[in-house]
Amino acid sequence: MRTIHFTLNDEAVSAQAAEHHSIVDVLRDRFDLFGARESCAQGLCGCCTVLVDGTAVSGCLYLAAFVDGKTVTTIEGLAQNGKLTPIQEAFLETGATQCGFCTPGFVLMAGQLLAAHPDPDDEEIRHYLSGNLCRCAAYPEIIAAVKLAAGKLRAGRL
Amino acid sequence: MTPFELAEPKTLKEAVGLLDADDPTVRPIAGGTALMLMMKAGVFRPSKLVSLRAIKELTSIEIVKGELTVGATTPLAVLEHSEAVRMHAPVITRALRTLSNIRVRNVATVGGALAHADPHMDLPPVLIALGARVVVQGRSGARTIPVADLFAGYFETVLAKDELIASLIVPAQDGRRAAYLKCTTRAVHDWPALGVAVSVAADGKAIKNASIVISAATETPMRMSAAEKAASGATDDAALRRAGDAAAAEAELISDGQGSAAYKKELVRVYVARALRAALGAA
Amino acid sequence: MATRTIGSGQVGRSVPRLEGAAKVTGRAEYVHNIRLPKMLIGKIFRSTVAQGRIKSLDVSAARALPGVYRVVTIDDVKTVIPNPLYGPAFHDQPILADGKVHYIGEPVAVVLATDPYIAEAAASLIEAEYEELPAVFDEIEAMTSAAVVHDELRPAGTFPDLKHLKGKKNTNIALDFHLRRGDPGKAFAEADHVFEHTFRSQQVLHLPLEPFVSAAELTETGLTIHTASQSPSFVRIEIARLLGWPENKVRVKVPYLGGGFGAKLYIKLEAMVAALTLLTRRPVKISLTMEEQFYTLTKHAATFRIKSAIKNGRITGRDCEVWWNGGAYADIGPRITQKSGFTAPGPYDIDNVSIDSYSLYTNLTPAGALRGFGIPQLVWAYESHTDMMARALKLDPVEFRRNNILRDGRAQATGTAMKDAAIEAVLDRLALRMNMKAPFDHGGGTVKRGRGIAIGFKASISPTTSIAIVNVAADGSVTLYCSTVDMGQGSDTANAQLVAEVLNIPAESIKVVHPDTDVTPYDMATLGSRSLYHMGHAVRLAAEDAKAKLAALAREVGVPEGANVPVAELFQKKYKMQAGNIIGTGSYIPSYVPPDANGLTPEATPFWMVGGTGAEVEVDTETGHVRVTKLINVADVGRPVNPRIVETQLSGAAVMQFGFTMQEKIELDGGQITNASFADYKIPSIVDIPPVMQNEAVESEQGSGPFGAKGVGESGTFGVSPAIANAIEDACGVRLTELPLTAEKVYRALRAAQGKPLEE
Repeated sequence: MRTIHFTLNDEAVSAQAAEHHSIVDVLRDRFDLFGARESCAQGLCGCCTVLVDGTAVSGCLYLAAFVDGKTVTTIEGLAQNGKLTPIQEAFLETGATQCGFCTPGFVLMAGQLLAAHPDPDDEEIRHYLSGNLCRCAAYPEIIAAVKLAAGKLRAGRL
Repeated sequence: MTPFELAEPKTLKEAVGLLDADDPTVRPIAGGTALMLMMKAGVFRPSKLVSLRAIKELTSIEIVKGELTVGATTPLAVLEHSEAVRMHAPVITRALRTLSNIRVRNVATVGGALAHADPHMDLPPVLIALGARVVVQGRSGARTIPVADLFAGYFETVLAKDELIASLIVPAQDGRRAAYLKCTTRAVHDWPALGVAVSVAADGKAIKNASIVISAATETPMRMSAAEKAASGATDDAALRRAGDAAAAEAELISDGQGSAAYKKELVRVYVARALRAALGAA
Repeated sequence: MATRTIGSGQVGRSVPRLEGAAKVTGRAEYVHNIRLPKMLIGKIFRSTVAQGRIKSLDVSAARALPGVYRVVTIDDVKTVIPNPLYGPAFHDQPILADGKVHYIGEPVAVVLATDPYIAEAAASLIEAEYEELPAVFDEIEAMTSAAVVHDELRPAGTFPDLKHLKGKKNTNIALDFHLRRGDPGKAFAEADHVFEHTFRSQQVLHLPLEPFVSAAELTETGLTIHTASQSPSFVRIEIARLLGWPENKVRVKVPYLGGGFGAKLYIKLEAMVAALTLLTRRPVKISLTMEEQFYTLTKHAATFRIKSAIKNGRITGRDCEVWWNGGAYADIGPRITQKSGFTAPGPYDIDNVSIDSYSLYTNLTPAGALRGFGIPQLVWAYESHTDMMARALKLDPVEFRRNNILRDGRAQATGTAMKDAAIEAVLDRLALRMNMKAPFDHGGGTVKRGRGIAIGFKASISPTTSIAIVNVAADGSVTLYCSTVDMGQGSDTANAQLVAEVLNIPAESIKVVHPDTDVTPYDMATLGSRSLYHMGHAVRLAAEDAKAKLAALAREVGVPEGANVPVAELFQKKYKMQAGNIIGTGSYIPSYVPPDANGLTPEATPFWMVGGTGAEVEVDTETGHVRVTKLINVADVGRPVNPRIVETQLSGAAVMQFGFTMQEKIELDGGQITNASFADYKIPSIVDIPPVMQNEAVESEQGSGPFGAKGVGESGTFGVSPAIANAIEDACGVRLTELPLTAEKVYRALRAAQGKPLEE
């Protein structure tokens, strides 16, 4: 066991974690955050996506000990005061969520994509989201959501 | 996963000192993406992991005397987006784009991709084709090993248990052109059923000499010497096909869930020729 | 997809999902999130033998591991549930293996600890010794095998459509369904042409991203089970039966599901967590891993031999023999065998038909319902067969179908007359969207192009019941109580739209209470595209009942008819304050006539689903790689209640079946699954799906459906596999008869066609 200190969704926190605990374990057991969920347990489905120092990682393959001193953002940290982000709004408006289990991962990866490519084409969208799986297969809607979000974000910057 | 001790040394020397030549339950961890999979599956139950994450001297990308030098714990994503890498060997940049997914590339490291010795990895065949070598740190000092000689078998390297890969060196390519083709059979994004990396020295469409490496379908990445010989002096597409035929004849292939050995032989035939074509057309 | 609203404008409108905001913020409620005070976590120790007697089970090392609370075997379970066998068709499945194991991966013991890592480590310390017995894995071999999976079969007798189940002693046949209509022998004797082909569907599985998860806790009044289940009412009844308790002592609660697709039906982990909680008097939760889903439920592998008589371009006779690989426990396989079995001749007007459909036990993971309930396995065969015949007869594949399809009023194989089944409209729209009349560029060089279509149909399940409650509060706000499970298909939103349509209020204002058997009334289950029709009726009736009671209230308080007084004022006038409720109830069960000795019935189903797919492909003839460049899905969904959700259902179903067609297969080695992970079992990702996908609901009305609607969750799956196989033959002249359509299979077929077969 060790104590880790990190910034979680803009708040300085500390938690007890065993060396073999993943960041998903700690978020769930110590902070009641369930939006990052272990599903395939192999880094392939993206359900456990969190941002560490702003970069997307598979939380199920990331030891909690390694976030010590870092900044962690989860899906719960995006909407401020109940106001959805433009990406979340776009997922809602295009029907890009079905069962919703994979949705947080897609929303976070879409954020990474749009930060790097504000006006992505289909190929770039598929490239960024190829490591996220949706068994309900809302892929066409997800592509539409990313494009809608890109427009919203560009409009917001004008 | 079962409990283990986690050491976090600050220097390479300290890290090597924490490893144990005789204890397979002590292992280094950097990105940890591959190791975590083994631990979650219960096939590896460590007593101690030595984290390389705090070692500053292992994360750098530089050109030294015309050679590209990459620190072993450099994340693959950093390599992928490095302008120095793209200028030096654009085939690395292109190959990385198809390697696993963005989240894994953000975390997994260059050293890990080599030390894991999984024959399905994309970087080893590419690095072998480029003539790359690794600098390995042990208790008694450093040694240099060509990537071509690094792999002893399936998930096995020639490294001692108390040795660490410290850096990767990719020599100057002197106008050589390279390509990496990844053939998947179960889905577009999958472990390759076959990887083919080639590097050619060519005048226009005439190949002077070629380095041809196949992976994934074999126990370890393998150079195809008969195919290299067939490709040398090739001036037309028929010669590229002959190189493919030669590779198909010499490759020792494994049957698995991604295809039978007989089928993979045909893939080798087609993809070696395609990779040579791609290299000739590449920058 | 076009918007076609009616009356209040609520039905036919693309209302955004009611729970959308909760899902995009990661705050939606799943069983996955549940933690209970003093909760124990269970990890399962599983069989490594396909068929065998347990000689010894050594749990001492597991028990001795610090942190382990208890290790449980079937002997412990029997102290709280003396007869621990469950199942919807047969009571054949034990909570833990009882003396014998029947497949590799079968649960044998459970370790309980508060720390899941400790429970997992302890489970790996358990050792079992088995006396191995002969096993059978193939459905055809299972018909005659000396290896018999079960010594004894106990029919469940739960469902009216399965009352006749007996099982055949000393065989592996759980159910054999036979249908005879007309005189097939005569049709074959008089035919111009007779075609016979055999097709095989591989074993695949659901893999919802939220794996199976259930938790149980004891309360002062009984047992509460929190479970990711598609059938809360069935769980309550079955757990009550196992415990010998009245239903009202068992409470089953279901929040959102992270996907279901037919996996989370009937009983899965619920009986196990119930037993463990009763044994320990502490809450117990079991969350399976992705790998463990491979050891829980699959889709039936199937072999289908189909034979047709053709006279003057018409199909005059058809013989169908279907063998369904049910795995070690019957689950709902017998219903698939019968209910899907009777559609085996396809959506074609054939006077002389024989069907023999067999549900077989084998020593594999049990098979059950998966999005389509057996229909995709059947359409795969009969629509490949249709194209092969058209090609052999040099007939246009669209016209050959058009000359033979079932039209409304004509009798299907069972004798039930077709009604509101837009088969011809689906075929027409598909042919039009695929531009089948125009010439097609078949490509050149090493890459060949092709196109193909396929259509299929499905009967709904019958007779099943749904009950709903609509509660109007004193401020006029409305709450719907029903036990339909929203597993991603959007049922909360669709049901709210039905209530909203009746009460003429916005769907967004309605609250839908999730299944909680203490609160929400009975529903048979969320399966087989039945909910929108069955529960839809119940919901509509409940809303109409509430509306009638509101009108009565208005009369009572002296408000003239049509005065348009706000609902809140009616309550205010009656109670002199904000108080009271109006409760509307609705209940629905369609009529049904069970099949006679020849498998015939005038009422086989309350409605028909129709779906078709068109595909364009490119085949790399040097490697066999197939790229599906276009996939068009057309379906008869009746009137779309929520056009956007309808589209995502069609598209999602088609992509799921696309995975089963091109990529997915459970690989086996002597009964052992060798690819039980996402690394080796590849479900479609965003880079796998065809670049062009279009979906269409044809103009239609289900006359008997609520506001003309019917279910849509499965129709997109029907035609995908044969459409792609038909396109591959169109491209490069080779015909594949076994799924999935891998590059190696295509390449081998190309080599065989050149007379240069590739060695094995």
